[in-house]
Amino acid sequence: MNTLNKWVIKLYEPMSNPDQSHMKQDCQNQRDCMQMLQLIVDGEASSEQKEHFLKHHLEECMPCYKNYHLEVAIRQLLKTKCSDQAPQELVDSIKAKVIQNLAH
Amino acid sequence: MELEEETPKQHYSDTEKQNIFNNEFMPHINSMYNFAYRLTLDQDDSKDLVQDTYLKSYRFIDSFQKGTNAKAWLFRILKNSFINDYRKKSKEPSKVDYQEVESYYNSEEVDRQITPDLRVEALKDMIGDEISNALNSLDVDFRTVIILCDLEGFKYDEMAKILDIPIGTVRSRLHRARNLLKEKLSEYAKQMGYKTI
Repeated sequence: MNTLNKWVIKLYEPMSNPDQSHMKQDCQNQRDCMQMLQLIVDGEASSEQKEHFLKHHLEECMPCYKNYHLEVAIRQLLKTKCSDQAPQELVDSIKAKVIQNLAH
Repeated sequence: MELEEETPKQHYSDTEKQNIFNNEFMPHINSMYNFAYRLTLDQDDSKDLVQDTYLKSYRFIDSFQKGTNAKAWLFRILKNSFINDYRKKSKEPSKVDYQEVESYYNSEEVDRQITPDLRVEALKDMIGDEISNALNSLDVDFRTVIILCDLEGFKYDEMAKILDIPIGTVRSRLHRARNLLKEKLSEYAKQMGYKTI
């Protein structure tokens, strides 16, 4: 399910080098936009919402464009830096304890 | 017992139990360990917590319906064990008053303060423990939603079940957690010499 969401986000990925001179420098609806952005990044937005926000709004609104890329970058950083692996001894010890339980 | 509430009790044979345990539970061991570690912030505690959780999951395996969301089921057990057994003894400061925190962070005031001055370029230079330290510095409940959502990819409704809170609270807590994380990251960015406007 998550893979699918990532795929959908990719599909609607806004252009990486928008023409900044034509973009708004202020967003009138920043609060609402931040909420929409959150839904999109979390894979909870509908395809219409995604289409509108990523394809139309982001291309004309500088603050939202920046926020979107910041959110995506933070998530990538979290994924690469904050995923610790279980030590092998823990895995072995759990397996051994469960087998022990089975024997009783 | 909270694990027995929703699904009717199953009656698995020993072989079935072992299959479920090995094929549906054990594949989540890394995610479970990471969750435990980020909750307790202590390697020994996190090992104990994960082991306790897995032993419990085996003991209550008849309450698990084969083929349903094992990861969410395991995370819920781990989170409950943490609250019941570890939170009390951990060095974590006493639980914050949620009403107070939630209403504070809900106010328009805080939204206006959001610092969008943190830039992607600054994040790219955070190649050390900055993000990990920033995450660990958040209050445990804020840390939790970020882990569940951003690291583990749980949906809002799954998070609501794991944490026993309404979906609206999941969303507002996430929103606040991310703002706090960004504030922390902005501090690091400043220390690294990135100018904020």
